[in-house]
Amino acid sequence: MAAQGGRALLALCGALVACGWLLGAGAQDPGAPAAGMRRRRRLQQEDGISFEYHRYPELREALVSVWLQCTAISRIYTVGRSFEGRELLVIELSDNPGVHEPGEPEFKYIGNMHGNEAVGRELLIFLAQYLCNEYQKGNETIVKLIHSTRIHIMPSLNPDGFEKAASQPGELKDWFVGRSNAQGIDLNRNFPDLDRIVYVNEKEGGPNNHLLKNLKKIVDQNTKLAPETKAVIHWIMDIPFVLSANLHGGDLVANYPYDETRTGSAHEYSSCPDDAIFQSLARAYSSFNPPMSDPNRPPCRKNDDDSSFIDGTTNGAAWYSVPGGMQDFNYLSSNCFEITVELSCEKFPPEDTLKSYWEDNKNSLVSYLEQIHRGVKGFVRDLQGNPIANATISVEGIDHDVTSAKDGDYWRLLVPGNYKLTASAPGYLAITKKVAVPYSPAVGVDFELESFSQRKEEEKEELMEWWKMMSETLNF
Amino acid sequence: MGFLWTGTWILVLVLQSSPIQAFPKPGGSQEKPLHNRELSAERPLNEQIAEAEADKIKKTYPPENKPGESNYSFVDNLNLLKAITEKEKTEKERQSIRSSPYDNKLNEEDADSTKNRRLIDDYDSTKSGLSHKFQDDPDGLHQLDGTPLTAEDIVQKIAIRIYEENDRGVFDKIVSKLLNLGLITESQAHTLEDEVAEVLQKLISKEANTYEEEPNKPTSVTESQAGKIPEKVTPMATIQDGFTNGQNDETVSNTLTLTNGLERRTKIYNEDNFEELQYFPNFYALLKSIDSEKEAKEKETLITIMKTLIDFVKMMVKYGTISPEEGVSYLENLDETIALQTKNKLEKNVTDNKSKLFPAPSEKSHEETDSTKEEAAKMEKEYGTLKDSTKDDNPRGKTEEPKGKTEAYLEAIRKNIEWLKKHNKKGNKEDYDLSKMRDFINQQADAYVEKGILDEEEADAIKRIYSSL
Repeated sequence: MAAQGGRALLALCGALVACGWLLGAGAQDPGAPAAGMRRRRRLQQEDGISFEYHRYPELREALVSVWLQCTAISRIYTVGRSFEGRELLVIELSDNPGVHEPGEPEFKYIGNMHGNEAVGRELLIFLAQYLCNEYQKGNETIVKLIHSTRIHIMPSLNPDGFEKAASQPGELKDWFVGRSNAQGIDLNRNFPDLDRIVYVNEKEGGPNNHLLKNLKKIVDQNTKLAPETKAVIHWIMDIPFVLSANLHGGDLVANYPYDETRTGSAHEYSSCPDDAIFQSLARAYSSFNPPMSDPNRPPCRKNDDDSSFIDGTTNGAAWYSVPGGMQDFNYLSSNCFEITVELSCEKFPPEDTLKSYWEDNKNSLVSYLEQIHRGVKGFVRDLQGNPIANATISVEGIDHDVTSAKDGDYWRLLVPGNYKLTASAPGYLAITKKVAVPYSPAVGVDFELESFSQRKEEEKEELMEWWKMMSETLNF
Repeated sequence: MGFLWTGTWILVLVLQSSPIQAFPKPGGSQEKPLHNRELSAERPLNEQIAEAEADKIKKTYPPENKPGESNYSFVDNLNLLKAITEKEKTEKERQSIRSSPYDNKLNEEDADSTKNRRLIDDYDSTKSGLSHKFQDDPDGLHQLDGTPLTAEDIVQKIAIRIYEENDRGVFDKIVSKLLNLGLITESQAHTLEDEVAEVLQKLISKEANTYEEEPNKPTSVTESQAGKIPEKVTPMATIQDGFTNGQNDETVSNTLTLTNGLERRTKIYNEDNFEELQYFPNFYALLKSIDSEKEAKEKETLITIMKTLIDFVKMMVKYGTISPEEGVSYLENLDETIALQTKNKLEKNVTDNKSKLFPAPSEKSHEETDSTKEEAAKMEKEYGTLKDSTKDDNPRGKTEEPKGKTEAYLEAIRKNIEWLKKHNKKGNKEDYDLSKMRDFINQQADAYVEKGILDEEEADAIKRIYSSL
């Protein structure tokens, strides 16, 4: 009887303990949204990063968790809503979230603009959590990055498409289902085609930057633009982004401008004025991703033509022509340099491969972030020290200018070399300076511009002085 | 990616040779072996903890003194002690940082957040329970030579402290805090006071013999003891009242104190606490059925485990994860399960002899894993239906999600607070202002709700968590 009782007790203890464990598993399981999946997912978890696909609610919760963990350095905001009303969420990481500190460059990552290209979306969620964790652990590289950059991460530009793609039953996801937005618009063909304009300007003369004049009016009145596209365009115009990457899937390469061929042919290397720095930027991503930069990697599909791929990078148009893409729109309508990164041969791979995609890409994602601190940067001010916004900074030999932001701050990405930089603004006298640029960090070059009127005043005063002197001498 | 792939997508399908897992569905059935493996991998740790408790009890079991009473008194005092050591710590902190104006508030909050974190840490099975309990123990559970304290030692400690401080208020502070937390009942407070008074008397008389300056003060202290106790007692509400009052932490803990009563001394069971035990009749019956001399250890463990579970429920109520009503229902369900389990187990034939009480779980694990799993699944289902009485569609999935989400948020907030504390210490700034943080979070949470980034419920949960720190 005693033995029986003992056995009963033992079993009971086990039961109670297990129940207690289940209940009290609060502190055991950070970051796993659905308790039903908790046991399986705990195997795939690392430091709060759960390597699983996040639907819209889980995406939101993951970002909220990062914010809750790192309230001092993060902020969540939305740039607008998708066609079906889902918020286009962005998490911002910086030492002073919500604020543009003069001189601090702005960076963005955008993923999942094709809803069925899912790896980018997940990687960006993992990245947000990773940056928060590493910051709190005191990882010097990450701390420095967050203190010196304003990092914006938008895991999904097309949440509607993702839901459609993710809702497919079975293991194989269709190559096209969920690609476009809820209206059936392919967002990466939906941007105003500025390439065509710049090609004309190259031949016939015209501006080489900020080609979309009367921007607000055009964007708001254009009925062909999807709400997601409009939201991104406003975002680009509001924040002086310097560097960006646009994450896709279906192949494994880092793609840079121009995406559209000059002559209109199917493939043709079409370099932009900043071809040198773009190659360097693309390499900065691909070289840290082992499969991407593997020269002996076979193409994703047997008959693929990857002849344009060099070291895991390719010129967009050399690979195949894309009109109306977001990458070129960034370059030609703003100061932002953007590349397109194709992360996976399979657009929507199985969930258990996500961890290895993270391992392959985490160093690339950080390395690419660091590229923003290259070239030349500084302030354009007048002689009284007031900032001059919208001043033009041009580089001799590169037919693409950048402009200064509201605080007079500018950033000009350049590969190492010797350059002549000229800062000019309407009503001011231009100044040219010589700069020697290393690989990194960025060289600081400030400009103090003298306005015409001021010079006129000075000349007038000089004249008056001379006249006075003359009249005194000659007894007028 | 374009139309280039229209012709070749078939190729894609054909070339897919690697095994692909199903897209995750809630409650995926493919994962059974993992499921089992986890449970059996987890339980040994918890049994280890239980074993450690049992060992402690074994070691400090004083054979010559009143056996039945001191068993329960030890378990009682063990938990009491935890709270006491934290109070001691709090008081030490209070004494050392007298200067800044925010001190009292901060210290209380510091003490509170430490206390909460300790609870969480204690029940975090990712940490080894053993090492955690022993390492994180600056002045409480062990004597200098590392042996655990006995019940007598604890009472001794309190008495010495009162004597040294020459302040009866020490005892009052400790007791009222314990009462508020629901760790002891009124009657236990009385008994504790008696014990402390006894020890104090001995101390005083001893000291009076050696030093002749002290005779007057201690006697006045002892005399005033009897008068003060009645004032300090917190009114005990019935469980019904407590839960209808709802969110008040104090009330909740008071009412749950009634349920804690069952772990205390046997002689009190029959007299004062019968109305408390009516909520746990099966558990009580089980305890009674155990031969108290032979299987005292199991009894102790059982009680500890029960206490643990009750604390879980308390914590969850405190954090607002579940409402008090749900907490009660859960405990009631637990009691029913105990009845069921007992019945099932007693019906089976046991061949195992009276070797060790907690043998290596290998032979037993299979059977127990199965029954545990069943029970666990049953628990989850019951809990799920409890939480989700108002929703019709997809009850199971939805109830598990909010639980997991709140846990995730809790964990994130905990990490944030930890980092803020560490960060401020390093930077030699003033101690971070929790109230400022709280305001900031409240503000941000509201802003996020407006923008559609957070649900109202989530924002409330977050605000609640911060306000409970």
